[in-house]
Amino acid sequence: MRRHTLVAVLLAGVMLVAGCGTYPVDPQGTLEKVRGGTLRVGASPNGDWVRISGQDTLGTDAVQGSEAELVRQFAQTLGADVEWTIGTEQVLAEELKHGGLDLVIGGLDDKTPWSTHAGLTRPYAESRDGRGSLHKHIMLVPMGENAFLLELDAFLKSAAAQA
Amino acid sequence: MSAPGSGTDVRFGHTQLPQEQQDALRKAKKYEWITIGFLAASTALVFGVLGNSQAMKAAWVEDVLSFLPPIAFLFATRVIRRHPSEDHPYGYHRAVGIAHVVAAVALTVMGAYLIVDSAIGLLSAEHPTIGGFNFFGQTIWLGWLMITAMVLTAGPPIWLGRVKMKLAEKLHDKVLYADADMNKADWMTALAAAVGVAGIGIGWWWADYAAALVISGSILHDGVRNTRAAVSALMDKRAMTYDDDAPHPLGRQLDTYLCGLPWAETAKSRIRDEGHVFHVESFVVPARGTMPTLDQIEAAREACVAMDWKVQDMVIVPVAELPSEFLPGPTPGGEH
Repeated sequence: MRRHTLVAVLLAGVMLVAGCGTYPVDPQGTLEKVRGGTLRVGASPNGDWVRISGQDTLGTDAVQGSEAELVRQFAQTLGADVEWTIGTEQVLAEELKHGGLDLVIGGLDDKTPWSTHAGLTRPYAESRDGRGSLHKHIMLVPMGENAFLLELDAFLKSAAAQA
Repeated sequence: MSAPGSGTDVRFGHTQLPQEQQDALRKAKKYEWITIGFLAASTALVFGVLGNSQAMKAAWVEDVLSFLPPIAFLFATRVIRRHPSEDHPYGYHRAVGIAHVVAAVALTVMGAYLIVDSAIGLLSAEHPTIGGFNFFGQTIWLGWLMITAMVLTAGPPIWLGRVKMKLAEKLHDKVLYADADMNKADWMTALAAAVGVAGIGIGWWWADYAAALVISGSILHDGVRNTRAAVSALMDKRAMTYDDDAPHPLGRQLDTYLCGLPWAETAKSRIRDEGHVFHVESFVVPARGTMPTLDQIEAAREACVAMDWKVQDMVIVPVAELPSEFLPGPTPGGEH
């Protein structure tokens, strides 16, 4: 009898899920907040991926590089403004973990130690370093914000397809 | 005691298996190989879509652990074919029990580990991150793939479990029973993992850990139950039915037969379950204090052996009175 109850509960759960409109959903609602609002991005300088040009670190055009460009395009698809924060990986990862940022870039790859603080996008690009080892590049997003992550994954995929 | 049988094919030690058990053993081996094949496919499939879900991780670990009972069974059925030797006068039947303990302890340890791991995840409120994957140029949510994998792997074990359960009864094999029992409950694990992932999808990050706790709880439960059964079997607990549900009826049958012999006043047996076969020591008090002839004893022994294939290694000891220190229970001085 207990088994039958369990099955009923589980089936009800599955049907509840199937009935939901937007899927997956962000527990903290990141995607909804960003859409038409502000995308808070942390940038850590690293090679051609993220460059900080000029003295004006608060200016919107100060952050350059291929990843910065991708982020601007992504924000555009969501109708959002980008608010940059420049810092070291550690400072930015901490900030991301505690909800102060929506996205962190810095030429990071899928071996990043900050996977304890953040979720990783799918690798969207590859590069080889001077020693010949392969790096699969990713960006950091808040943990568990799966709708936002899926949106970004889809964007990076289509951007890579166009490039 | 008994001359090594002149028969041909399948035997456990020096016990020649009847046709029905031979067929059951052949089938059991076949289905254990099918189980291993299925598990190889399902662990590979689930590993491919693990992602960051704790529930998926727990389900995968359970899949990997499910390899142990079939391997233990196939290994043990090989070892126990050996004849008893000078060094191993009781034969190699205990190989079954040892395989059972090893598999059960592995289940217990992993179950406990996963409970702690899942509880830490839940308490530290680590939100499981599941992103997209590339599906023919489309980016879709990896969670769908996880749910699909779980639903696909839920069905076959139920069927395997049902088939193996019947064979376990015929063979009186507790490893096979434990394996079949786990298989039969496996669909709940798969469904729990699917619901956990679906929960992540609607923003309930904790659903994943809740599902993982349910799954690891069931692994631990299996482990503890099996460890208990396997250890008490190795401790020479009285022979039980294949599912440890009741004392094996054979004990009563033997005693009833022996008591009914014209030359016997009373009789009581002590039975050890060696894994498949029983080792039986029957103490018989002769009527009117007159020793039975060797022929009478031998005839009684043969009649007992003919009663069930599990009885082969049996001794009949004529005694002046039933030794209560060897035969606890209804006789005085025994424990319960």
